[in-house]
Amino acid sequence: MRLALTGKRVYRHSIAARFSHWLWTLAMLVLVMSGLQIFNAAPYLDASDQNNPARRVLSIGARQASGAAQHPAGVTQFFGHTFTTTGVLGYTDDGQGSRAERAFPGWATLPGEQDLADGRRWHLFFGWCLSLAIVVYLVAGAIRKDLRELILRPSDLPKLLPMQLYYLRLRKEPPPHGTYNPLQKAAYTGVLFVFIPLIILTGLALSPGVDALAGPLTALFGGRQFARLWHFALMTLLIGYFITHMVLVFATGPWNNIRSMVTGWYTLGEHDGVGP
Amino acid sequence: MKRRLFVASSLGALGLAGCSSRLKDSLTNGPFHNVLTSVEGLNHKVIGTRGMARLYTEADVAREFRVNGNDPPADSTYTGLAKDGWSRYKLVVTGLVDHPQALTLAALRALPLQTQITRHDCVEGWSVVGKWRGVRLADVLALAAPTAAARYAIFSCYDADDGGAHYYESLDLAQAAHPQTLLALDLNDAALDTAHGAPVRLRIPTQLGYKSAKWVYRIELAATFAGAGGGKGGYWEDQGYEWYAGI
Repeated sequence: MRLALTGKRVYRHSIAARFSHWLWTLAMLVLVMSGLQIFNAAPYLDASDQNNPARRVLSIGARQASGAAQHPAGVTQFFGHTFTTTGVLGYTDDGQGSRAERAFPGWATLPGEQDLADGRRWHLFFGWCLSLAIVVYLVAGAIRKDLRELILRPSDLPKLLPMQLYYLRLRKEPPPHGTYNPLQKAAYTGVLFVFIPLIILTGLALSPGVDALAGPLTALFGGRQFARLWHFALMTLLIGYFITHMVLVFATGPWNNIRSMVTGWYTLGEHDGVGP
Repeated sequence: MKRRLFVASSLGALGLAGCSSRLKDSLTNGPFHNVLTSVEGLNHKVIGTRGMARLYTEADVAREFRVNGNDPPADSTYTGLAKDGWSRYKLVVTGLVDHPQALTLAALRALPLQTQITRHDCVEGWSVVGKWRGVRLADVLALAAPTAAARYAIFSCYDADDGGAHYYESLDLAQAAHPQTLLALDLNDAALDTAHGAPVRLRIPTQLGYKSAKWVYRIELAATFAGAGGGKGGYWEDQGYEWYAGI
């Protein structure tokens, strides 16, 4: 849906918003890759406090070679269903040019080879970066009142379906909206106020020092292993958000979108409004 | 134009995600490594050793307490002591103390015993609940009366890896004084077996499992842990893991 640009330019993203946007982009990339590295050290997730195979939701492992098979097979179990995932999960790239029994492949982890200690160093450092970015964004957005434009309000709810129909080309015109359309508001509100805070909190909740300091937090998520499961599930949701974000950035004028997140200046399209 | 840009940036993103091991290694091991490790002190300050580890009930105790880490010590000192039922074992407390100690198991068991059912959290990510009984480390250190210069308790262990490097660990005095930090003697109502660290092991439920050193024979009070082992304060710390293991 190529939007006709009106040529009118507006200063949309403050320096704080742009800085924190790119900082958490980098942080998310590093956190996902180092998180997969950490996952590989115990490649299973249980919906419980201590480990309990009866409550296992996901496990990624290898089945030893037997009979005609020359090498082990990657085996992934998800809610009791078993999948053969050789080369992708379980028996994969070891980060050093050959294959090994490893849950996530070397190309997806940081560092590439199995190295829990360094994976944790990356993860804990960029966990702070992500937290800093989200705080800077929210504080600056609150001070500048930019946040008002992207928080989903009850009055936006009836516009969600018409907007979705417009995206699906089942409707000619989008519902009238301000700076961000109702679906954008829903996505940004969810990511900024729910998913990113939750992924930080679930990460903290699975640490023994934090559990001792703030036990109700760990209990809230159902215990340490359950917090680990939520942490992983939230990551997959955020990856889903990232993919959707990329598709829409490229579908709605990539230069304009990317430039606005670099310089702050955005050229309005024919349906773009300004304000909350 | 749009398609070319999309293809180019997709390739760029893939390249970044799968970026060569060389690039990842140079980032991990280069000067940036010092930047990465800098947050350990921050984590220690923010989280520290405050609060109490959650206490569980008998019903939560796992049927089998998972064994991890080095194989049991194979040297003749350890096996000889084990053969004699630990009658000749003595836990030495030394270094910056006013009253050095050499405590037999009977002397340790004569101290007030604490039972705690707590969760053991491994750095790898797994957890298991066990019922521990032992003496508070604080009580043992009090017998030895650390001097004002003492800042760390360094634990020496009987076990060694295949390369001959001995296991050791260290805690600062605040961590050592935490009321749930034990020198454990029993696990699940039986004297510690060899695999779980007989006859005495550290048990610190507020930190990750590698701090809970097995097969302890000596506690040295010191102003710094730089002189022990590889100088980073512990066997796993020497291999890149954090000394502060509360997160």
